[in-house]
Amino acid sequence: MRLPVTKILLPVLLLAALLLPLGARPYVLSLAIEVMAFAIFAMSLDLLLGYTGLPSFGHAAFFGLGAYTAAYLSSNHPLALGLTSNLLLLLPVVVLVTAVTALFVGFFALRTSGVYFLMITLAFAQMLFSVAIRWTAVTGGSDGLPGIPAPHITLGPLQWLINSRQAYYFLALAFFVLTYWLLRRLVNSPFGWTLRGIRENEARMQALGYATFRYKIAVFIIAGVFAGLGGMLLALHFRHASPENLYWTISGQVMIMVIIGGAGTLTGPILGALLVRLFPQIASSYLDRWETVEGVIFILFVLFAPRGIHGIYVYWCSRVQVFTWARKLLNT
Amino acid sequence: MNKQRKSALSRRQFLQVAGSTAVALSLPGILSACRPSSASGALKIGVLLPYSGIYAVLGESITQGMQLYFEALGNEIAGRPIELITEDSKINPDVAQQKVRKLVEQDEVAFVTGIVSSGVLAGLRDYFHDNQVLCLCSNAGSNAHSRAAKTPYIWRTSFTNWMAPHAMGTWAAQNVGRTAVISVPDYAAGENNVTSFTHSFTAAGGEVVAVQRTPFPNMGDPAPFMAELSATGADLIYAFYSGSAAVTFVKAYHDFGLAQQIPLTGAGFIVEEDVLPEQGAAAQGVKSTLFWSYVLDNPQNAQFKTDFHAFAGRDADVFAVQGYDTACVIDEMLKRTEGDTAVGQLIAALDGIQFDSPRGPFRLDAHSQAPEHNMYARDVQPVDGVLRNVILENLGPIVDPGDDSMG
Amino acid sequence: MDNFLLQLLNGLVTSMLLFIMAAGLSLIFGQMRVINLSHGAFYLVGGYMGLTAVKQWGAFWPALLLTPLLVGAMGWLAEQFLLRGRYGRERQLQQVLLTFGVALVLSDLAEWRWGAYTQTVPPPVFLATAVPLFGLQFPLYRLAIIAMGLLLALALALFLGRTRLGAILRAGVTHPHTVSGLGIDVERVFAATFAGGVALAALAGILGSPITTLYPGLDFEILILTIVVVVIGGLGSLRGAFVGALLIGLTDTFGKARLPEFSLFLIFAVMAVVLLVRPSGLFGVEEGH
Repeated sequence: MRLPVTKILLPVLLLAALLLPLGARPYVLSLAIEVMAFAIFAMSLDLLLGYTGLPSFGHAAFFGLGAYTAAYLSSNHPLALGLTSNLLLLLPVVVLVTAVTALFVGFFALRTSGVYFLMITLAFAQMLFSVAIRWTAVTGGSDGLPGIPAPHITLGPLQWLINSRQAYYFLALAFFVLTYWLLRRLVNSPFGWTLRGIRENEARMQALGYATFRYKIAVFIIAGVFAGLGGMLLALHFRHASPENLYWTISGQVMIMVIIGGAGTLTGPILGALLVRLFPQIASSYLDRWETVEGVIFILFVLFAPRGIHGIYVYWCSRVQVFTWARKLLNT
Repeated sequence: MNKQRKSALSRRQFLQVAGSTAVALSLPGILSACRPSSASGALKIGVLLPYSGIYAVLGESITQGMQLYFEALGNEIAGRPIELITEDSKINPDVAQQKVRKLVEQDEVAFVTGIVSSGVLAGLRDYFHDNQVLCLCSNAGSNAHSRAAKTPYIWRTSFTNWMAPHAMGTWAAQNVGRTAVISVPDYAAGENNVTSFTHSFTAAGGEVVAVQRTPFPNMGDPAPFMAELSATGADLIYAFYSGSAAVTFVKAYHDFGLAQQIPLTGAGFIVEEDVLPEQGAAAQGVKSTLFWSYVLDNPQNAQFKTDFHAFAGRDADVFAVQGYDTACVIDEMLKRTEGDTAVGQLIAALDGIQFDSPRGPFRLDAHSQAPEHNMYARDVQPVDGVLRNVILENLGPIVDPGDDSMG
Repeated sequence: MDNFLLQLLNGLVTSMLLFIMAAGLSLIFGQMRVINLSHGAFYLVGGYMGLTAVKQWGAFWPALLLTPLLVGAMGWLAEQFLLRGRYGRERQLQQVLLTFGVALVLSDLAEWRWGAYTQTVPPPVFLATAVPLFGLQFPLYRLAIIAMGLLLALALALFLGRTRLGAILRAGVTHPHTVSGLGIDVERVFAATFAGGVALAALAGILGSPITTLYPGLDFEILILTIVVVVIGGLGSLRGAFVGALLIGLTDTFGKARLPEFSLFLIFAVMAVVLLVRPSGLFGVEEGH
């Protein structure tokens, strides 16, 4: 069953996203930027959780690492290097740092599976958190690393200074769309199908001659890198890297995003990020007991929509006549 | 027992009294066109505080302190109705980042007040600075924001972390003992306490023999620290803890018999009114320095305590005083600008604001952008059957040096 | 030497509280293969309910006995209406979301009912004193916790080793399919296990609250430590929970005493090392199908 995602919904949504700055207040753009940063983060976790069946409970390590690397390189805080805020330089360093860390963590963590994998990834993340909060001389300790200047993209004589909310929104949108596109290609590639094979039955994949450990390491690194990019995006927006970015609550939250959105899909984590980040932000302005409401929503999802938001969408797509009709039309 | 809901209701009642429709106004789309710098219409003030989690106690007290003051004014300053828009920042910098944008960019508040944790203040500092938004910080005491990270847009109505340990260092060296061991949570505010106490204690002839940095954010069971503190053989302990850590620390100090061995001194928050009832007898005899005490004897405090109890249904604490004083600063500031909220005018008006607060004489110091106020040496003793911080000595006015020269 | 022995006792106190928590969590995992993320919330709610009970009746012991029963009943309801029918490896993610949702609701309602102030259950009067030990006064209540923890460990070991239900539970850990094949009502076993597991959490909540105090957020702090203990010991193993609790309790205590700056780091470093050497924990059964 093929859904009209690519052909109708995506272009419409993209157009809406491009037009959003025309009508929306800067605050709305700020929320959108945060959601996109977390959506990238959640999609990256889903590569592990949904596609490969590796439940990482320490993914915040890479998110925070991305944030701190960007902050350490660019911030004008006395503790930071303050070398550059050129994205073309920040980006490769963030990629490198998160990739190397993911290789290291993955090498050890991937020897375990299931709940034990869950916990060993948590252990690494918590160790990193304790370093961030403890090693004040480098990380700024509990205050984090503030003082990140507006980023820019400089290539030879060309320079784009990203110092307005709108400009940063478009940058984040570009990152987000590019990530979605790349990951979509990834999960639909032979590599992606091998990952699904590992999720379903690793022993069989090994018997078929796949070096599954290498695949798992590879996907762990890719997921780590994209999580790092999400973290970088958030830090450059808030102009601040905070130890909260590394804390296990963020690891838990991104896991919830994936599950509630629909694990094993890419749109799911995006919708999950939208719900899990926006609901508290908005509900807490109006409700005192919003956390109870949030908990009840989670429970209701399990009871009535076990496949998450994406599952609801699929369900309705398969029932609503208009969509069926549109699908038929497009398939001819 | 139902504190959370009761205060939340009073928050709503307040909004009604103010004749405002904060909720409707903050709905996206139904937005007033008034610019932040206008000098007429409702005056919107953004209040960014934790209202959930362990710091909700502080958030509620500060809010109620402000509400109490504004209610007495008829919720009007310089002919403009006051409208408080409260937002729950938790103690999470990322949540606070969006909440401050919501307040400034969507609600178009004239300025922002609140902020309990230094981590949140550190994160928001550049936002206030770059966007030229005034922040009247009513709790977070990080020294840096009166010093290296100072900006004209952040003024404090509360204190700096330097103050209490500075006063205690001198006082303890003269009155308690010559050698001290310091115990603080391992984070920025704890470190502020270490440097400040060490500086003044040493200057007064004392010696700091050991520093114990305990896990932050979660200290857990403090029992292991007790044996180590006892083993140092110091004349006194200086400790900086608040909230649940203050309760467990002081209880363990008492339960392990350290109370008979080594006197406990600290920054006043370790035995403030929010934790004292729970510590009970364990806190008796703990000496601390702070800019206020429940039993402080001045007419403003007497009035404040009575009014606050009538308003909130419970005893006032230091955080309520901070909220009350913040409201008073706002009142003075807006009177001086005649209701104009252009940021340059507001900042100019802050310089030199002074009044008689429940904490005693209060003056905003333009150099450190923080208050000058008295420090009091206090001792936990029963007063009419209730444990209170009895004033031992008025240590006189204190003002942050505005640089790191004194620790 | 005195100092060492003193810290050893402190470590045992933490260990015993962790053990009571971990035993419940491990029991639940062993039978149902569910990581109960609401376990910490049941600790907090148990502590708060105990507090109310002690204030109502003015006595500690009835509260210590009745609160776990009450919380156990809540657990039974949660199992009946939420978890039932959602077991199995392929539903692990739903279980995570479900128990996390329950944890959010419980902790938020607890904050609403009992407020954000730090509170403690007063220990029974005859234990609220201290004995001179190793050069310091050692609170009697803390010694009582060690004793109660050891007694409970013994009782649980006897229960699992010597009773029919215990045998069923042990079989459920290693051979879940055989158990259902033997005509045993697995659903009732599950309900009883979940109720018993969270009742243990509530017990730990009341016993531990004079030491940890009760405040919003404590639930998740305790939960993380408990999961660490259970994972180190090996999921589903009571012996593992006991050894894991000792390891973490002592690491935490000596870490705080000697290397306070690194104590947070140490706990997770210990877990990482254990899992690298023994990927299924110290006494765990290999997780598989």
